[in-house]
Amino acid sequence: MIEIDQAKAVIEASSLCVNIKNNPILKSLNFRVKAGEIYALLGGNGAGKSTTLKTLLGFNAPSSGSVKVDGKEVLEALNHVRKKTAYLPESATLYTHLTARENVKYFLSLADIEKTDAEIDQAFDRVALQTKARDRHMQTYSKGMRQKTAIALALLREAPIFLLDEPTSGLDPVAIDEFNQLVRELASGGATILMVTHDVYGACQVADRIGLLRDGELVGEFSAPQDGQIETEEVHAAFAQRGAA
Amino acid sequence: MSYMFKQLSREWRFMLRQKYLLVLLGCAILISGFSVQSGLNEIEQQQQTIERLTAADEADRIDAQHKHDEFGMLAYYTFHLTYSAPSDLAFAALGERDIYPWKHRIKMLAIEGQIYESDTQNAELTQAGKIDFLFVISALSPLIIILLFHDLFANERNSGRYDLLVTTAKSPWALWGARGAIRFIAIFLCLMLPFYVGAWVSGTSLAAIGLVSFYCFIYLAFWALLSVYWGRNASSAPKVASGLIGIWVLFAFITPILGDLTINKFVHSPKGGDIVFAQREAVNDAWDLPKEVTMDAFTATYPEWKDHVAMQSMFEWKWYYAFQQVGDQIAASMSQEYRDAAKKKYQLAGYASLLSPPLLLQRILTHLAETDAVAAFKYEQQVRDFHRELRLFHYPFLFAQGEFNKGELANMPSFEKFIIEQQDDRNTDSAQSTNK
Repeated sequence: MIEIDQAKAVIEASSLCVNIKNNPILKSLNFRVKAGEIYALLGGNGAGKSTTLKTLLGFNAPSSGSVKVDGKEVLEALNHVRKKTAYLPESATLYTHLTARENVKYFLSLADIEKTDAEIDQAFDRVALQTKARDRHMQTYSKGMRQKTAIALALLREAPIFLLDEPTSGLDPVAIDEFNQLVRELASGGATILMVTHDVYGACQVADRIGLLRDGELVGEFSAPQDGQIETEEVHAAFAQRGAA
Repeated sequence: MSYMFKQLSREWRFMLRQKYLLVLLGCAILISGFSVQSGLNEIEQQQQTIERLTAADEADRIDAQHKHDEFGMLAYYTFHLTYSAPSDLAFAALGERDIYPWKHRIKMLAIEGQIYESDTQNAELTQAGKIDFLFVISALSPLIIILLFHDLFANERNSGRYDLLVTTAKSPWALWGARGAIRFIAIFLCLMLPFYVGAWVSGTSLAAIGLVSFYCFIYLAFWALLSVYWGRNASSAPKVASGLIGIWVLFAFITPILGDLTINKFVHSPKGGDIVFAQREAVNDAWDLPKEVTMDAFTATYPEWKDHVAMQSMFEWKWYYAFQQVGDQIAASMSQEYRDAAKKKYQLAGYASLLSPPLLLQRILTHLAETDAVAAFKYEQQVRDFHRELRLFHYPFLFAQGEFNKGELANMPSFEKFIIEQQDDRNTDSAQSTNK
């Protein structure tokens, strides 16, 4: 695992404004995610969740304010940021004409990372991808299996920061439980996790903190108590009242 | 170096797993192979024709020399083969050899009519041309490149992989650079390999192979870069392909057609048939003109024979060949106008080709292969100059009326010797100018 300074905020948006085609999408967004923390950005459709993620990945330039990952302005240190970040897209469509193993090897090679078959199998074991499916073309994979492959890829990249876009969307309850367990394991190992989601219950189950995003602005923040979960009812009420309006 | 090799090797293996790309590359090598084969066949046929005609020409001449003792009659029945041999690169770019004649059987009659006789054929029949390597590279390969490159980005965006790919790749070169480079190398090799085989069979010089490779590389790279640029921000591959095909139609068809129409509208030229007609009319009219009129016109060009034009009978061969000469003199201005217009059109087509990369490549490669209009003009002038040599050889026997010994026919100019002498003269001139 790549070492990261635990004292500072690993992900930080300060007065972040992003315009897309002259439309303001993010309006003075402020949030910080510390090392080892699981932070969920919760919001309805059009709240600015995906724009936030894309800005953190360097696809959008801030029109004002700043966005930092590992203490560095994203666009000024794009290679550094992307090297330290494992991104899990909502619909992890990998190459269907390749097997899961071939896909993982292909993407790792893109990142100039070499892993043995045994190490790849270990990652597949962690995400509970069936052994017999690993060398089958992904054309036949369910969404859950594709998601597991993408998570395995993220694990193999050994990045200290995970950016997850609607990670449990389309997964069955068992797969969601397995995923949440994995995310907690990663965080306890020091990884910083930012997930964007519209799933109130899912977010409350796994996140240490939840930021409620509405119309490009953070309108509320909830923290989990020591050794406990964020109160779903409270977040749901706030989401229904303010978030999804 | 090893990092770059790793990226290229990964993308090579990745490309080999994509069936549609392999089918496309297979089509490219098949089409290119067919065009090279077709070009080699065409050139072989032309060479066989030259060999066959050379043998027949020699036999005919010997036969005429046996049959006829009178010099004028002998000159009348003796044909002389002229031809423009294809270069060792002509198989790849047949060029204008479809349109301009590359062989003639001429005799001592007026030459302009003999040169432009074939121009009275229906030129439209030759417009379809032949599928040669140059046609495949200049007209068809852009389509293959477009099919290979149009979805480079759009396909990844459309399937939701783009962000993952970009954020995972160590650098844009590791992904797009290597992927584009491998596709380009693959299509370049598929298109060029048949050419290299054809060049080896044809004995093409390494310099010519190098130049063709260079120009084709630049041309294919232009289309690849255009395709990449056009599709860089797109998420719909069909839209990218439609736009690029529109550009291809503009460059490959609309610009050349509009250029041709414009040039023909502004540059007027007599037809070859008009020259043939004018020259033949002059020759036919001469039978009815007083002989002095013909002889005066003849000696205006050849004053050295002015003391030998008096005739002893109603028909003498010197008068016959004199009015053939005068026929050429009458058609000369029209012939010059025709050539000037052809050169002007060629020059203007050069400007038009700057707006059409396919046309520009065709122009460059046909020039290298000596199959362009310039080579045709050069051959036409060689025929004219050779015919003048023939006249200079025949006139002393016709006008001086000295003893004619058939042994002197051994000194009669032949087109092959004439071309070699011209080449030697050029080499001497260039050696002298180098020494200076």
